[in-house]
Amino acid sequence: MSGTFRKALLGTAFLCALAVDGGAGSAWADTIKVGVIAPFSGPFATVGQTFKQAIEVYQAQHGKTVAGNTVEFVYKDLDQANPAQSKALAQELVVKEKVGYLAGFFFTPDALAVAPLIDEANIPCVIFNAATSAITEKSPRYVRTSFTLWQNTVPLAEHVAKQGIRKVATAVSDYGPGIDGETAFKQTFEKSGGKVVDSIRMPLKSTDFAPFMQRIKDSGAEAIYAFLPAGPTTLGFARAFSDTGLKAAGIKFFGPGDITQEPDLPVLGDAAVGITTTFNYSQAHESDLNRQFLAKHKELFGSSDIVTFTSVGAYDGAHVIYRMVEATGGKSDGAKAVEAVKGMAWESPRGPVRIDPESRHVTQTIYLRVTERKDGKLQNTEVAGFPDQPDYGFKAGK
Amino acid sequence: METLFGIVVDGVAYGMILFIISVGLSVTLGLMRVVNLAHGAFAMVAGYVASYAAQGLGLPYAVGLVAAILFTVLATLPLEKLLYRRIYGSANELAQVLLTIGLTFVIVAGINYLFGPTLKRIPLPDALLGTVAIGPKSIPVHRAFVIAMGAATVLGLWWLLERTDFGIKLRAAVDDPNMAAALGIRTERLYTATFALGTGLAALGGVLGAELLPLEPYYAIRYIVLFLAVVAVGGAGNILGSAAAALALGIVDTAGKYLIPSFGEFFFYAALILILFRWPHGFFQGRAA
Amino acid sequence: MSGRHTGAVVIDPSPPVAAHEPRFRRALGGAAVPLLAAAGLAAFWLFPNDLGLMTRIAATALYVLSLDLVLGFGGIATLGHAAMFGTGAYAAGIAAVHLVSDPLVLLAVGGLAGGLVALVTGALILHARGLTLLMLTIAVVQIVQEVVNKARDLTGGSDGLSGIEPSPLFGLFRFDMFGRTSYLFALAVLLVGFLVARRIVRSPFGLACRGVKEDPLRVAALGGSPRRYLVTLYAVAGVFAGVAGALTAVTSGIVGLDSVSFSWSAEALVMLVLGGAGRLVGAVIGTVAFMTIHHVMAAIDPFHWMLFIGLFLMGTVLFLPGGIASLADRLIKGNRA
Repeated sequence: MSGTFRKALLGTAFLCALAVDGGAGSAWADTIKVGVIAPFSGPFATVGQTFKQAIEVYQAQHGKTVAGNTVEFVYKDLDQANPAQSKALAQELVVKEKVGYLAGFFFTPDALAVAPLIDEANIPCVIFNAATSAITEKSPRYVRTSFTLWQNTVPLAEHVAKQGIRKVATAVSDYGPGIDGETAFKQTFEKSGGKVVDSIRMPLKSTDFAPFMQRIKDSGAEAIYAFLPAGPTTLGFARAFSDTGLKAAGIKFFGPGDITQEPDLPVLGDAAVGITTTFNYSQAHESDLNRQFLAKHKELFGSSDIVTFTSVGAYDGAHVIYRMVEATGGKSDGAKAVEAVKGMAWESPRGPVRIDPESRHVTQTIYLRVTERKDGKLQNTEVAGFPDQPDYGFKAGK
Repeated sequence: METLFGIVVDGVAYGMILFIISVGLSVTLGLMRVVNLAHGAFAMVAGYVASYAAQGLGLPYAVGLVAAILFTVLATLPLEKLLYRRIYGSANELAQVLLTIGLTFVIVAGINYLFGPTLKRIPLPDALLGTVAIGPKSIPVHRAFVIAMGAATVLGLWWLLERTDFGIKLRAAVDDPNMAAALGIRTERLYTATFALGTGLAALGGVLGAELLPLEPYYAIRYIVLFLAVVAVGGAGNILGSAAAALALGIVDTAGKYLIPSFGEFFFYAALILILFRWPHGFFQGRAA
Repeated sequence: MSGRHTGAVVIDPSPPVAAHEPRFRRALGGAAVPLLAAAGLAAFWLFPNDLGLMTRIAATALYVLSLDLVLGFGGIATLGHAAMFGTGAYAAGIAAVHLVSDPLVLLAVGGLAGGLVALVTGALILHARGLTLLMLTIAVVQIVQEVVNKARDLTGGSDGLSGIEPSPLFGLFRFDMFGRTSYLFALAVLLVGFLVARRIVRSPFGLACRGVKEDPLRVAALGGSPRRYLVTLYAVAGVFAGVAGALTAVTSGIVGLDSVSFSWSAEALVMLVLGGAGRLVGAVIGTVAFMTIHHVMAAIDPFHWMLFIGLFLMGTVLFLPGGIASLADRLIKGNRA
């Protein structure tokens, strides 16, 4: 009894201290809600799962309170790109659930849909994934902890050029991110003296990739740059690449790391071996922080096999939100919260990261990785790093 | 010339895969008048069974294939008794659509619960790996295998429906159920058998086609348009028509993607519209089965 | 039935129970609009925090109503209705970004665009029936989606068309984040749409369309052109779908590729059959039921809502074949018996 009382007293004292420390507005402890909009059902359900698990890992490691405020995450399911529904869910989160923060977002249109809302309600929106560069230009309240196609592609194109490869064919899915990747690669690679001999845009719903492989073969390219959304299409593409003999013919396979994301590796099998990618995170990243992250994940969920780029996006996103809560002392003030994290730098499981003050996008090390089999399991082994890569696509004009 | 040959070979290979995963739907839709939108779900179940048999139990590919077909047929027979039997007959199409969509949702949720949302694979035996040369063009051995299986399926079904007692009775029952019943044909058992045939074919397609249409819970919904397209162009219930349709669509799609990749999707649907204009009831019009 | 010989699918959704109860249906139909209005307003007071969802429901109900005109009253089986909805949404969105911002004008733009697409594609494909027609409608919606995806400069492609900022309604009511204006606006448009649709259905033209659905040969024998009736009906329904799309664009401020997709078309069909095709109230009831259940289930268990919704669909088919709207008929009939 007295023990409980003492704890309560201590707690109160602690909170008061924090409140004084945090400045005005947080005179009492409060629950701060964060609304997470992501696919929890449907074809992209894995994404929502990785978001949620990473957030739970973060909360298990760092506690559920910050500056005396309890942070509670509320999840809303948005199974596919559906901006109108995204807006309605965000509206519900803000008006009904009274969330102080919006977060999540796998698809670009879903993230873009909430721009007017976050401006009107003055709440910050931390994007865990949606990777089109233009998003953060649409509202000063967006902060992004993932990557953009430009960010991953520019160092890759430079690397390919340095290998002495002169002729490359690009093959991308025919939608926003794919076209971003194609443009970024072509610009950078041709500036470095290479030549893009064929630019193939593949329909998103393609199931059979044999014709594209024939085209790549006919183009006489020494290597390909490929980007497809993670999932069945990537699998089909990578399998076709090795099945039709392009791999055996010695054509090199480059691309952003989405295509060899960890959950898909067991299915890709040997078709994935030798693919060279650039990306912001690999499960195989060598650092204590990453090992702790994976260990905690395994402890909580029994396996850390599906940990991938969306996991660190959410993990670091949670970190950014915690710092925002701290800076605003639990008061809802989006402009101030975003201001507080501009320029903020920290060590993440993926490596050193920083929020660029201008683009509000994460500046980070982009790693060059080769997919290989190690101890019977496929992994993306980091072989080199390109530190301090910004979003090259920010205000690239479009 | 070589390019053209390459397109045709790739197109035929793709078309045969399309055929083998759609023909089951053609059977149920054409011979039983059931718009079975759960066709993809049945194929997916079989794929998961084969995947589990190979990866979880370590069984050989052929055993997995047979087990998958048997399991799917046996598992869906109660569904025929409990659900499908209530919605037979052409007055019920909307009910059929709704019921089979509902069933699909349930199966998708079940698979998602049991196996999780990540992709699954059916490992191929060594004999089906690698490539085989056809003239100047080489294609994966697995595809050559599917082409052979597809051809065998066409012949087998044609023989079954045209040359056997079962086929004759079935066609009689389709044309006039009352008359058939009056002649002493036990239509109920006939329907059960045909339903089993349809799901068995779906299962075969699900397993053989898994290289092209990878297994994940949304498989059941993702490819249903593809199946419907083949059946519509071929004429429902028409086996040879389905094969011709699948090959035509496969070649058109391959040619479109090769020549003008970024308009690949247009080619497929434009071809669909044109074919359906010329042959509104599918190839080989008016000749059921 | 032509499906007999060709293996085509003929969709015939005539409600089996209701046919014997014309007087009650009439009475119910008469009370429908005041009842809908009352329910809509009651929801406004009861659930002031769910206006975002309710706005979407109202706009979607108009879209499903449009499908009901086509399927329930014309017997046209379609899985491509989103072609009209999406075209309306994009037309309104593009107009809002570049030309005008008045919400009523935007609805008109959307309706016009939807009607135009329906007229052109309807004239092309409505000679077909059954499965062939079904496939043609799917092909149309897929091609429209590809066109939208390709026209990135105009539509934003897969990123969606954002930046739609309609001016205040009548210059007075702003579309703010609480969604009061949006909801009441959407509700009003739905009610007007419902009234107009009822007018059409009960007009000689509507009766003729029903005649075409039941017996095209007789209509032809009486000197009418079944196909002309159907194309006209399709175009009229296209206007409704276009307005619904524009309404969604105006109230949500963004349009995505999902609004011209096969799955959005299929979803409309599911909602309609759930509510009961062939009666206008069915469209509204089906939409409200489906979207509410989806919303509630997804909130309770985002991982497995599909199971519940699947069972719900199957249960409706097996135990309530005329859709939810037939429940009222059953109750009335049960009481009298």
